Amino acid sequence: MTAVARPTSSSTASGWIRGRLFPNVASGIVTVLLFPLLIYLAYRAFLFIVVNGRWDVIRRNLNLFMQGTFPRDEQWRILVQIILMAMAVGVGGATASAAAADRTREAGIATRRQRPTATLRRFGPLILFVLVLLYFATTANPWLFVLAVVSAGLLGSAARFLPPRLRHLGWLIAVLALIVGFQAVSGTTGRSWLATAILVSIGVWLSVRQEGLSPLARLATKTALVALAAGVVYGIYTVVTVPGIGWDKWSGLHLTLWVSALAIVLSFPLGLLLALARRSTLPALRVLATGYIELIRGVPLITLLFMGQFILGFMLPAGSSLSSISRAIAAMTLFTAAYVAEIVRGGLQALPYGQTEAAQALGLTPGRTMRLIILPQALRAVIPAMVGQFISIFKDSSLLYILAINEFLGVRSLVHAQADFRSVAHAETLVFVALGYWAFAYSMSRESQRLERRLRVGL
Amino acid sequence: MGQVVAVLIVFLLLRWLFGNLVDNSRRTGISLDFGFLNRPTQFQIANHPEFDPRSPVYRMVLVGIKNTLLASVFGIALAGVLGLIVGIARLSQNWLTARLASVYVEFFRNIPPLVIILFFAFAVFLHGPLPNLREAIEVGFPGTSHNLFIFSLEQWGIPSLADAGNLLYFSLAIIFALVVSALVWRWRTRVHDQAGDPHHRLFWSVGVLLLMLALAYVLLDEPLRVTWPTLSENRRRVIDGFAINSGFISVAGALGLYTASHVAEIIRGSILAVSRGQTEAANALALTNFQRYRFVILPQAVRIALPPLINQGLNLVKNTSLAAAVAYAEITNLTASSIGNGRPAVPSIVILMAVYLSFSLIISFILNLVNRRIQLVAR
Amino acid sequence: MTSETKGSAFADATQAKGEAFIELTDVDKFFGDFQALKDINMKVGKQEVVVVIGPSGSGKSTLIRCINRLEKHDRGRIIVDGIELSDDIRNIQEVRRETGMVFQQFNLFPHLTVLDNVILAPREVRHTPKKEAENLGMEMLERVKIPEQARKYPGQLSGGQQQRVAIARSLAMRPKVMLFDEPTSALDPEMIKEVLDVMVELAEGGMTMIVVTHEMGFARAVANRVVFMSDGQIVEVGTPEHFFTDPQEDRTKLFLSQIL
Repeated sequence: MTAVARPTSSSTASGWIRGRLFPNVASGIVTVLLFPLLIYLAYRAFLFIVVNGRWDVIRRNLNLFMQGTFPRDEQWRILVQIILMAMAVGVGGATASAAAADRTREAGIATRRQRPTATLRRFGPLILFVLVLLYFATTANPWLFVLAVVSAGLLGSAARFLPPRLRHLGWLIAVLALIVGFQAVSGTTGRSWLATAILVSIGVWLSVRQEGLSPLARLATKTALVALAAGVVYGIYTVVTVPGIGWDKWSGLHLTLWVSALAIVLSFPLGLLLALARRSTLPALRVLATGYIELIRGVPLITLLFMGQFILGFMLPAGSSLSSISRAIAAMTLFTAAYVAEIVRGGLQALPYGQTEAAQALGLTPGRTMRLIILPQALRAVIPAMVGQFISIFKDSSLLYILAINEFLGVRSLVHAQADFRSVAHAETLVFVALGYWAFAYSMSRESQRLERRLRVGL
Repeated sequence: MGQVVAVLIVFLLLRWLFGNLVDNSRRTGISLDFGFLNRPTQFQIANHPEFDPRSPVYRMVLVGIKNTLLASVFGIALAGVLGLIVGIARLSQNWLTARLASVYVEFFRNIPPLVIILFFAFAVFLHGPLPNLREAIEVGFPGTSHNLFIFSLEQWGIPSLADAGNLLYFSLAIIFALVVSALVWRWRTRVHDQAGDPHHRLFWSVGVLLLMLALAYVLLDEPLRVTWPTLSENRRRVIDGFAINSGFISVAGALGLYTASHVAEIIRGSILAVSRGQTEAANALALTNFQRYRFVILPQAVRIALPPLINQGLNLVKNTSLAAAVAYAEITNLTASSIGNGRPAVPSIVILMAVYLSFSLIISFILNLVNRRIQLVAR
Repeated sequence: MTSETKGSAFADATQAKGEAFIELTDVDKFFGDFQALKDINMKVGKQEVVVVIGPSGSGKSTLIRCINRLEKHDRGRIIVDGIELSDDIRNIQEVRRETGMVFQQFNLFPHLTVLDNVILAPREVRHTPKKEAENLGMEMLERVKIPEQARKYPGQLSGGQQQRVAIARSLAMRPKVMLFDEPTSALDPEMIKEVLDVMVELAEGGMTMIVVTHEMGFARAVANRVVFMSDGQIVEVGTPEHFFTDPQEDRTKLFLSQIL
């Protein structure tokens, strides 16, 4: 009876095969059945991708997929926009992670440096997609462009070396880069000054801190400064007029990304307000908010898009009109806001009531309590669910295809309207489009899981 | 105070919006009422040769609702079965099974369902490798002259069952057999209670059921007959058997595949959510793996999984609206065609939303009922 | 003096109580690179009550979890009632039928009533008929003094009551040895006594028990031996009196000064 326990066998290859593929009879049978199937599928995939696939359709239409029907001679705008965006992401990301690193360092928690390979793996799907795009590129320009974008991002990430006191500058640069980037394409005409003015006003309002003034004086000062800032912005925009291409002419992957981003950004404040309204003590507000949320969540997005197309026009005064894309963005915002509201509501409910009680015991007003104690915790708790919702809206932007808007999926109609591709290569274009969506969605979902893990640890 | 202001703002906004709506409608002469429901539809519904364009619009709406339900039911059935298999496979100890299931889930979860539907509709069907109906692939039943399956771009044919006489008696026999097998189930359960032996009640009752059905089948002189799918004379339709349209397969199949990935995640999550202590307690009591799953893990996992699963069912019903991109005549598609044919947009869309809202409310109601019944009793 | 010498010296002293019912010989356990159990040698005789104490992370929970194979030992031998623990599932099931375990977190099945919790294993593992099992279950619940809770659900009971149900659940399998993994650590102070009383009654009734706990009062009352573990090793073994009056090792003295 000398049974010495065997050393753990998962370290050897044969041990691994035995343990993971054939742990028992039933499992062994499954392995034996699945393995040939896997080989067959891999073989068919290989045939499709390498041998039989008519990937020419992508190569010849790459521009269509990326930018759609955007005027060819204005395409430099999009390039400038993406480079500015890359820089904004670089600056913003670096500032945020530097701030987080400082906080963890001061808390005495040790952090491990990420190896470069880990970062590569993190963005694997996106890198794969970019490589696929470069593969289909017919000139050298896309390579240079990718190089420029990466450089801009890296340059922006130098913001990590900013001393903490100048971190606000980092955020300011990031926001400015975003605004200028957006307007690099859309131009400064029309009502674009409004968005900039709103952003600047919020920034001014939040950053003005005047201690030692009575509340009324502080309110007056803030209002005055905000009005001043808005006026300055308006003035700048009347002087500086750069024509551009409004978003109703954007299409392709470019449009998909922007529509999703806009829907996300615009739906967040609306959803927040709805969630608070739903918890309001005023019955009228509560009923309205609940009714709205339940109505929107009970119908498919396409019906709201139809509503946007057909009915929204009727709801505006005669003579004014919104472009197709504006209506779509409005519908998507209204749609997402209801889901965001439910997510935020879940976060608020999950927060222990003891937090509110502690704040009250300290003498904080309800407004301050909400702003300083409740919302920061509740929102952090629901970040994973929010990212899930954003992935959802990104995928749902494909519905614009049904409205004959040529976003990433819809551009296929243009591709297959050409005589050469009328009834061929449908599978190839669909696979390409699927890859694009998959790369972005999978990356976002992995980032969300990563965030969730870090949040659980309390960072 | 701020809340009162908010209510006022919302109220004024709504008044302005709807005021404009009424004004503009009056100005452009487009009606806002629902009278159009009783007027003739005036267009043909694809793949529904029995639909008369002269029938009133509300009949068209009913056809749309029926098709939505049909696609939903099949989609949910497919998603349920496939999702269950993939979800459990993901937890398997077998590395191959677990990885394949993971790849399935991570792929289908992250692409838009519309892309999958289009893939079916265009890459498999419309421009796909399948031939036209005229030259359909007929997979023969080996040894006979019948077709087992028919594959083509427009329609697929599968075998079906039809009445060959005595169907009424056979139905009664089925009911009788079900009752008897239920009694057998109870008998075996009682044997288990009294003597402690394993009950094997599943084998017993299913065995008895099948035996009785076979007996009834023979005694009633073959009350059912199989109809094999055949192409009609002019090879334009599938007659006999059961004909499924490519649109239906696209929508139900694609949504089944897509939703199955979510179902698999929910099932995996719910099994993992049952705390490890439960597994340890079950092991300490010497329960086998099967007993542990049956008595401890699955009852708790089902309670966790049921609300999100019902939610996924609702999502699938809502996603059938994506059929607006392909030629499947569910309610959204028909509404779009109807508006395209001149029917008033506002009331049509209101009806469309009302249809989905009713589904949604019914399913929410069921969800609440289920939630209340399965709650674990606590202080 | 090595732990082996100490352990076996005192193990011999208790041979009078009966042959070794549980034997651990040269047992090692690793979690990855971390060694949780180092060279464990221990014998537990029939009807013996052994209390295992030690700081957290010392491996005491791991030790008893290896005995019913909730953890798998990497080296050495574990023999329970003549059955040696190996990878063979039938061995493991046999051992688990003979051992009962009570967990710190109770781990009652929340979807079953108290009575169903108690009789699930007898019905499904020993194939006891339902009526008989229910009688057995009620008997066990009476033994832990909460027969009136039989139809309630675990969520409706207090912590002390839940833990007593957990004890009844293990007892219903008529185990030959009961393993307790910090049974009172998750309880409010006023409920600790009711659980300890049940455990004392069990011990006085002749049950073989291995108890991981901090409750030294319990050890004083019924333990035949106290085993002190630290860093995965058995450091000192002795009678309760020995520990309270004359601990030998420095580590023992340090630990006792913190909890007594």
